[in-house]
Amino acid sequence: MKRRSIVALSIVAVVAAAVTAATSGATKKATASSITVWLQVDAQSGWPDVVAAASQKFQSDHSGTTVNVQYQNWGDHLQKFDATLAGGGGPDVIEMGNTEMTKYMAAGAFSALDKSTFENSSTWLKGLAASGAFGGKTYGVPYYAGSRVVTYRSDLFKKAGISKLPATTAQYMADAKKLLAKNKQKGFSPVYIAGTDWYVAMGFVFDYGGGIAQQVSGKWKGLLSSPKSLAGLAAYKSFYLATSRASKTTDETHPNPYDVYAQGEAASMIGPSWFSCCVGKKYTGATAQFVMPGHVKGQAIPGFLGGSDLAVPATSSSKALAADWIKDFTSAASEKALQAKGNIPNSTSLLGASVNERAAARSWFVPTAKHWVDVENGNILRNMLAQILTGKLSIRQAASSAGDNIASVLNQP
Amino acid sequence: MPESSPIAAAGTLLQTSRRQRFRGRALQQSTPYALILPVLVVIGLVLGYPLYWLVKLSTERYGLFELIRHAGSSVGLHNYGSVLHDSVFWHTLVRTVVFTAVNVTATIVLGTLLALLLVRVSTVVRLLLSSGLVLVWSMPVVVAVQIFYWMTNFQNGVVNYVLTKLHAGNFFQHDWYATTFSQLGLVTVLIVWGALPFVVITLYAGLAQVPHDLVEAAEVDGARPWRIFLDITLPILRPILLILTSLSIIWDFGVFTQPYLLIGQSKITSGNYLMSIYLFEEGYFKSDFGRGAAISILMLLMVAALSVVYVRKMVRIGEAQ
Amino acid sequence: MSARHRGRRARQAGWNTVGLAVFAVMVFPVFWMISTAFKSNDQIVSLKPTWFPLHPTLQHFGDAIHKPFFWADVKNSLVVVSVTVAISIVLAFLAAVALARYNFAGRKLFVVLVIGIQMLPQAGLIIPLYVVLARYHQVNALTGLIITYMTFVLPFSVWTLRGFLIGIPKELEEAAMVDGSTRLGVFMKILLPLMGPGLVATSVFAFITTWNEYIFARVLLSDQSKQTVTVWLSYFLGSSRHTDWGALMAASTLTAIPVVVFFLLVQRRIAFGLTAGAVRG
Repeated sequence: MKRRSIVALSIVAVVAAAVTAATSGATKKATASSITVWLQVDAQSGWPDVVAAASQKFQSDHSGTTVNVQYQNWGDHLQKFDATLAGGGGPDVIEMGNTEMTKYMAAGAFSALDKSTFENSSTWLKGLAASGAFGGKTYGVPYYAGSRVVTYRSDLFKKAGISKLPATTAQYMADAKKLLAKNKQKGFSPVYIAGTDWYVAMGFVFDYGGGIAQQVSGKWKGLLSSPKSLAGLAAYKSFYLATSRASKTTDETHPNPYDVYAQGEAASMIGPSWFSCCVGKKYTGATAQFVMPGHVKGQAIPGFLGGSDLAVPATSSSKALAADWIKDFTSAASEKALQAKGNIPNSTSLLGASVNERAAARSWFVPTAKHWVDVENGNILRNMLAQILTGKLSIRQAASSAGDNIASVLNQP
Repeated sequence: MPESSPIAAAGTLLQTSRRQRFRGRALQQSTPYALILPVLVVIGLVLGYPLYWLVKLSTERYGLFELIRHAGSSVGLHNYGSVLHDSVFWHTLVRTVVFTAVNVTATIVLGTLLALLLVRVSTVVRLLLSSGLVLVWSMPVVVAVQIFYWMTNFQNGVVNYVLTKLHAGNFFQHDWYATTFSQLGLVTVLIVWGALPFVVITLYAGLAQVPHDLVEAAEVDGARPWRIFLDITLPILRPILLILTSLSIIWDFGVFTQPYLLIGQSKITSGNYLMSIYLFEEGYFKSDFGRGAAISILMLLMVAALSVVYVRKMVRIGEAQ
Repeated sequence: MSARHRGRRARQAGWNTVGLAVFAVMVFPVFWMISTAFKSNDQIVSLKPTWFPLHPTLQHFGDAIHKPFFWADVKNSLVVVSVTVAISIVLAFLAAVALARYNFAGRKLFVVLVIGIQMLPQAGLIIPLYVVLARYHQVNALTGLIITYMTFVLPFSVWTLRGFLIGIPKELEEAAMVDGSTRLGVFMKILLPLMGPGLVATSVFAFITTWNEYIFARVLLSDQSKQTVTVWLSYFLGSSRHTDWGALMAASTLTAIPVVVFFLLVQRRIAFGLTAGAVRG
């Protein structure tokens, strides 16, 4: 029959589809003698040897157990993690950004770790250790940190007649004037700061004794409109207006400050110490770094202490092995290797004297609230900064509306 | 096919074939089902449960805490209520509808013009142009966004450079990302640019079905190009145009990657949300998966409402056969 | 006669000029990607745009190819895409025939289903889809990704192919049937050649969509040796540190090559469809 051929064809197609689905069904299920580790891709491009050494050490102690390191992207690793929490097949060890921890700890996504079994745990960097603790228990082991420093062109500083690095913010502003006088091209920034770079801006707030939010008897209270915070914001505004020609509404990755610097359009910039990697061939030789000074002489401006923690998800079926791998990866030897790659190690006992590490001596961190991530994702602080810099709102108006906003987000159930 | 179909002449043969229809009626009746079965099986197997999950989730309180324990607690229609009472939702909806209308119109009009152009150019230019379109199409969205960002960036964007050089005004350090209007304008350019290849190539393939003899005959008769387009080309393109329009509505209404990456996470606020960004912010970033599911389903209803006119037209065209 | 001829040539030249102008505008971003891939790092960030890299460097291409798992992931992408496209187009064509050529109970429902699925916001499906695939051990497996892609490619393909089928007069087939051809014969001799351009346009679409798809590949595949090339590309951007733009652009240029090759292989069908004058018969 004529139609029979078409019917047959479609049946063949169904069978073919079913067969493909069936044959491949036999996926390797994670055996007990294997652990999966999720690290951010920074490790793959920056220090794969440190990861390999830790895994080797781990395997020599646990023969027969393999370590499967899977690299993740900052942009979407949480979505992927959420999916594995719901469906299984997730990692045994996961790297989390320190501002991402609280929400997951509060929801019970991680299993508690015995802090005392980790090397140097008594001298962990305070800010980083705090990001991995919740309700008196430890869920995250500090992995590494990074602070914010000033990267600058020594040749331009010299040409402008700046013989001594600035010791206060006011001095830095005065130096910026000198730099501007010698570099008259349009768009030149003596200090490149993206307008809504809240990591830099909040440094001023903390320098003046202000803060973002504080927990008072179980309830979060916005601190941005306190007199000290307002003074910090005012200082940021005048510093920014005097030194930076960046867009007032843009963030610190659009464009990358080091790209602007590499174009010869900035004499200095504030950001992570690794910025010095990418300043362009022409300026690498003349590039150096110093600790950003605060408004009081001899005191650095508090820098945001960014960093990562390692945690064991509650869904892991090899929690003890996972904790052992973390021990190997955060051992003193391993941390020293990370330090050699330009990171800040997780313990004060290992701290050296690099600019990066000196800047970490005075640092600040975001409120450890369950809903802090929502404040970040909602760009409440960035919005406030844009309003302040463009003059849309007065500092007081912008700060108080942002403060209320933050308090209401943090106080969600 | 409408009555006026130019090939209707072939239909004279139709009479004779009727007799055959009586044979194997049972088999004939089962044929269409056999034909759609494979598609149904694949879709059912893969999407059946997720769809059920989505609907169930939308009636539950389901956050990170519940996600880890695989158990939500029923809250009835609370999630829907909370979304529908959110003024951000309504503002976002209006913004997204306008955005979709602009994008779809631009895509379809420019796409049709380009497809017609493709027929008129010489073979070499046609090959060049269509390869160029495929090049555009083959560019990963993430990379395309990055290039568009470079071209328009505040500091050293080529667009600012060229506009200033052309004396179109002082575009030195012009910030294309300063206002919502300008942001969404750039996103529109990016989306239309990225959608054109598919639309043009599909319409061009559709034009292959336009009978040449008929067009030539009409030309000899002195018919104006516009009339030829309306009377001969358009009727044949209509089903494809309808499909492209409804698909464009669906895609542009739910577009996420382009606006999210081009505007940049750090500039996304409730003042420039598009629908899928709203979904992402509420559902994923705030880990309120129940509310996210409710938004998903509301989005589904909205886009269905938006495209219902086109879809009904399409179904009718099919039935006229 | 010759005046008319000349007029026609002038018009053709005019259209060609317009075509070239459109080409230039459309392709500029692509050109920028490719030329960036050949620029030195200093040229990439320079304030004055470098239109053509006069001293092209191949270093970025070297960096890209030597990034771990490039070849494995290209292979995965090719497998996923070719299997998805091949199965989807066959299945979709069958369903499109049913929709365009038969009236049957439940037809409308099927149409609504096919359209409705495309209206689902994909972001809402990420977690539930992961859950169901994990249950059948289809996460971290190419097959899981293939059937996921099929669910997105199929409705679209059914839809578009149906549009093309409707454009083909049913009478042609029926006439052939009267001539004594079998249904399969009709299919092979009449429908398939006429559907050529439509099948090509649809499979180009399916090819490119699946080749460029990112979010499901990202969530469903975990081992770097099992990922697709878009996920591999994302590692250039996923770090908290600086992005190697040159290498990213070189890598993107490389990953565009298979798409362009695929198109060049099949584009003749579209052109053929036109010159053969589909319904001239």
